[in-house]
Amino acid sequence: MNLALFFQQVVNGLAIGSVYAIFALGYTLIFSILGIINFAHSAIFTLGAYFTYALMGARFGFNGLLAQTALPFGLPFPLAVLGGGLLAGGMGVLVERAAFRPLRNRGADPLLMLVSSLGVAVALVNIIQYLVGAEAYSYPNALAGLPPSINLGVGGVPLIMRTVLVVIFIISMLILFALMRLMNHTKAGKALQAVAEDPVTASLLGINTDRLILLTFFISGFLGGIAGTLVGLSVTITGPYFGITFGLRGLAVLVLGGLGSIPGAVVGGLAIGIVEALVPPDLSGYKDAVAFAILLIVLFFRPQGLLGRTFIQKV
Amino acid sequence: MNALLQVDGLTRRFGGLIAVNNVSFEVATGEIFGLIGPNGAGKTTLFNLITGLTPPSSGHLRYKGADITAAKPHQIAARGIARTFQNIRLFSGLSALDNIRIAQHVHTHTGILAGVLRTPAARREEQAVRERALELLRLVHLEQRADEAVGGFSYGDQRRLEIARALALAPELLLLDEPGAGMNTNEKAALSDFIRHIREQFNLTIVLIEHHVPLVMGLCDRIAVLNFGELIALGSPAQVQNDPAVIEAYLGE
Amino acid sequence: MDSFFNQYGFLIVSMTFSALLALSLYLPLMAGQLSLASPAFYAIGGYIAAVLSTQIFPVESGAPFPLERLLLEMLIAAAVSGVLALLVGLPALRLRGVYLALATIALVEIVRVLSLNLEITGKAIGIFGIPQPFATKLDYLWISGVLLLVSAFFVYRLEHSRMGRAFAALREDELAAGAMGINPTTTKLLAFVLGAMLAGVVGAVSAHFLNTWNARQGTFDASILILAYVIIGGSRTFLGPIAGGLLLTALPEVLRALAGVPGLPPLAVSFLQDGRLIIYGVLIVLSTLFFPQGLITPALLRRWNRKGRA
Repeated sequence: MNLALFFQQVVNGLAIGSVYAIFALGYTLIFSILGIINFAHSAIFTLGAYFTYALMGARFGFNGLLAQTALPFGLPFPLAVLGGGLLAGGMGVLVERAAFRPLRNRGADPLLMLVSSLGVAVALVNIIQYLVGAEAYSYPNALAGLPPSINLGVGGVPLIMRTVLVVIFIISMLILFALMRLMNHTKAGKALQAVAEDPVTASLLGINTDRLILLTFFISGFLGGIAGTLVGLSVTITGPYFGITFGLRGLAVLVLGGLGSIPGAVVGGLAIGIVEALVPPDLSGYKDAVAFAILLIVLFFRPQGLLGRTFIQKV
Repeated sequence: MNALLQVDGLTRRFGGLIAVNNVSFEVATGEIFGLIGPNGAGKTTLFNLITGLTPPSSGHLRYKGADITAAKPHQIAARGIARTFQNIRLFSGLSALDNIRIAQHVHTHTGILAGVLRTPAARREEQAVRERALELLRLVHLEQRADEAVGGFSYGDQRRLEIARALALAPELLLLDEPGAGMNTNEKAALSDFIRHIREQFNLTIVLIEHHVPLVMGLCDRIAVLNFGELIALGSPAQVQNDPAVIEAYLGE
Repeated sequence: MDSFFNQYGFLIVSMTFSALLALSLYLPLMAGQLSLASPAFYAIGGYIAAVLSTQIFPVESGAPFPLERLLLEMLIAAAVSGVLALLVGLPALRLRGVYLALATIALVEIVRVLSLNLEITGKAIGIFGIPQPFATKLDYLWISGVLLLVSAFFVYRLEHSRMGRAFAALREDELAAGAMGINPTTTKLLAFVLGAMLAGVVGAVSAHFLNTWNARQGTFDASILILAYVIIGGSRTFLGPIAGGLLLTALPEVLRALAGVPGLPPLAVSFLQDGRLIIYGVLIVLSTLFFPQGLITPALLRRWNRKGRA
């Protein structure tokens, strides 16, 4: 691999990695507050992609209850992305109310919440299939007016990127930036960090944990929905099960960065994106396994993740 | 003196905090050895070091002359050191009988297949384990509740059951972490008698952590006093009671 | 009755497979280890049977596959899965709780990607034309049903034996179990290996049963489904996973059959037919709410026992 190609792949990897990062942040936020993995997150990712599709006013296919229907209006792609994210955030809130809060209120085993979130994922994925069938969808003319590729090279060295990837990278970075602002410069963001640090003390300090948890699920769903749209933009929405393999990769990012660590999720996402992009073409079949091989290596040698904290068990 | 346990320069640091600092003493076979000191003095950490739950930062532990510094908890248990925990760690979802049967693990041999097939040897062993468990339950007056899940037991019953579970390991050295916590004076007196009784019956050497000074003074042959992780006094109850360093540590608290 | 069994033969045998896989996840869980690795070993067991029966022990087309060879394949699948579990388990079982679950998910995915890419597993197409030892699907019950009975008996006896109690001690409190002389590493490893061996054996039978084997067998979806069998059936007694596996596998078919009840409005019929997995997901959520201990709990068994004696 020559140097120009290497750089090209690294930049491609950064673009996909930035989507991994915002997607995994959805897991991370909920893990940092509740200490559980929300397996419905990958279903919300899928939903977000379909929401955006619908908001663009695009027509659904020939199968399912909503066959051949479309909204009476169509939003331009940037607004539809935002709308899809917000609707996905709303779904996150619904999931919290239906599957997590009732269990949390009775102090149930975290394992039950995991299973309950799996149940939600199964239901959501099949609701999608019931409504719009199993066919693939792609966003119509989402990037109309833009050239298919852009040369980002400096000097005489070309660095040609698919425009889609550039758009994805810009949107992901904007979202990450907004999230950082929210976490570090707003009252709600600081309260979230306090709860993540120590839920008991935070509630003693008068922080309303239930409302913060709702907010967390909203943000998590929003991030998941945007990530779903961005992946859909890059490779088309492949059907209701679209989110599952991606969801698993998000788990790898979560572990690589350290469960519950926000900077960890960003670094982990970018790292896995780049490593995947550097898999040589003749081994591309193994690309899907890269994230999991990394996951295993990290777990065996550094279970707390790259940026996670170690825990000392009290006897 | 015939030393059963030798603690030699034992130190444990947690980050910047030194929980146990260069502590050395010996416990003689057959004695009841008290470990006292203010809260946070490092008593429980010392127990965790002796039972292998926490690896020491430096120093050595010898049991019956053999070095056990690097041994794992289950290896130490198999060598004959049993313990109870400050905040009771019974298998709370299991029955009293099972709690005690489990502690006989190292003295039994039935493997998976023999256990599933219930070979004659496995059945004999199972019978013996059950009888011994019931015997120990009788000792702590819980034989009527053998089949109940222990999570529902009263605090006092759980404390006694935890001692019975430790005895099921057939230890030579028994470490009791605040066995009298939460008991009133009468109960503590009864506990005192009970501890003496099991020492005689099972030929035990006992190390115990206790806050209640009269109990320790009346029960122990020798006492070690820890303060801020350091051993500040060691000797008979009378010696320790009059030691100026001890008086200061307690009055200063 | 005969037509019922013929019509539902496939379903009945599938139910026993599910119950067996649930037991394979339950075994490590008995020792407190949340392992989702069963589908990986299930997939490997299936490939072993598929490769052996199509390439090593070929039979003339039309002739039934000899039963003793199927049994031999099951043994080989158990042995290979067991050895592999031993190798994977040593590093993996140092991990606790959700970390172990994630590591085992990674294992499942790696096995899937490998089988998609390797020549011997038939890449994306998989292996098909796996020979049949029986004339009908229902006849597989002779293998799967017996296997379920034997496994249930094994786990039941195990729960009431020395090693089973050591598992339970680890599940209750690993630290205290260690202080009571139980070696956490070897004991957990044993539970993990037993679960893997069972999953491997089920895979071997399943490959024949399904006639073809590919990378869609034993994926992450299967992991979560099997976990749901155990949690919903009940994770405190061996009867829980069995009940969960049998019932949850039958459920979609029951819903489909319900759609055939005359007099239902058309929308309800279409929902029962096409939306039954939605109902399935919702039932999973509801059962965690209303049966947090699972359907079959030790307390329930004690009540039955008392009634039985009275």
